[in-house]
Amino acid sequence: MKTKATAISTALAALAVLCAMFATSASAAPAWKFEGKSLEGSEVILGAAIDSQLTIPGMTTKCANFLYKVTIKNEAGTGKGEVTELPLYECTTNSEVCSVGKIGAEKLPWASKLTTVSSSPYIIIEGIKVGIIYTGEECAVDGTLVTVTGTAGGLISNVTETATFDAASFTATGTSLKAMSTKIEWKGVFPTEAFEWKREQAISVS
Amino acid sequence: MVPPAKSTSAGLCLALVLAVLLLAGCGGGDDPEGQSAGASTASSSAQAQGEANAAPAKSEKKEGERSSPKASRQPAAAAKGGGKQGPPIAQPTGAREPEPTPADIANATVADMTLTSPSLPPGSGEAAPLSRTYTCDGEGKWPALSWSGVPADSAELILYAMNLAPVGGKLFVDWAVAGIDPALTGIEAGKLPKGVAVGTNSYGKRGYEICPEGTEIHIFAIYALPRPLSPPPGFDARELRRRILDVSGNVGLYPVTYTRG
Repeated sequence: MKTKATAISTALAALAVLCAMFATSASAAPAWKFEGKSLEGSEVILGAAIDSQLTIPGMTTKCANFLYKVTIKNEAGTGKGEVTELPLYECTTNSEVCSVGKIGAEKLPWASKLTTVSSSPYIIIEGIKVGIIYTGEECAVDGTLVTVTGTAGGLISNVTETATFDAASFTATGTSLKAMSTKIEWKGVFPTEAFEWKREQAISVS
Repeated sequence: MVPPAKSTSAGLCLALVLAVLLLAGCGGGDDPEGQSAGASTASSSAQAQGEANAAPAKSEKKEGERSSPKASRQPAAAAKGGGKQGPPIAQPTGAREPEPTPADIANATVADMTLTSPSLPPGSGEAAPLSRTYTCDGEGKWPALSWSGVPADSAELILYAMNLAPVGGKLFVDWAVAGIDPALTGIEAGKLPKGVAVGTNSYGKRGYEICPEGTEIHIFAIYALPRPLSPPPGFDARELRRRILDVSGNVGLYPVTYTRG
């Protein structure tokens, strides 16, 4: 009996150590927080680009206003979400002959998740699909529906409550967007805030 | 009576281990309260300020609707406290862009085919650098091209090379080849399949020429048409392109870049 009791206690002690290790690693998983507290349930956040543009080789498409609406939640301590809307306003190109005829997000919602790279929090948006129909009689892609697809990783700043998508954030997260079989560049700085229950509260990720 | 004593010992051991488990926070997951407690020590002044300022009325009302009064005061224990700190979200101005409708997509030339060149290095995913060989600085021949994703009901394939930037405000066509069999999946460098028709480019020549001024991006395009246009050799490449867009087929696009001089 003594041997059995010792075995049980040893096993439980080992389990305790494992649990402690698990608890440590789990707490490192980034989660959505408001006023420093983990989000319970779900919340809707809005991001609106201060400046955003995507560059298909040879042509930059820029939108005066570029918003995203994401429903967020924490699952097993990790931040998840779904991009449900992506309205775009006043989009133009830097080409003298190409205009944006129509542009819009396709196949919403897009899944999103939080991750940590080199101690910095990132949001990764998966399954992105944006269709752009360019117009212009002298435009090389006149009447052509160009689709931007892929995954985008953006660096989250808890200080400024912004998500920044640029070449560095794409490299850090190993993500990319493509159009015309070619990697494209997307830059955007998005101040983000809660839109429903947690309005006016500080939003952070850790 | 010895065995019961041993059982008691085992029970004490079990209780001890359970206590260890609880202290270790077994069960995983985030422990916001614990973190908040830690942060509250570090930022007690921020908490006090957060309490003094309180959340905006709109926020308090929302929180009150959802949480207990105690929970609504929890920002006092927050890591940041004091409410939102980031820049406000700008209200959109101007008109929202119209999204492509199914009818728009049906009428558009859809860029869903893949076009690449085995002659050119894959590069880093950016526009592929066009080798000198395939410009007026070299042999002036077209690179090998391969494509996929041709719709099954395609009647004709037409190849184009165009300058992505207009020249004199006009689309500049470097090369146009019509009458390509939809069953083909590529062409060799400098060679064309039999029976095709080569158009007149923007240089006024019946052939291929890419001769940039400085750095330019040119785009190869393979159009798959649901009905044949079958233009005669020497066709006007710019005029044919208008007809191609009217047919609303599919296209594969492949941008390349070259710096001259």
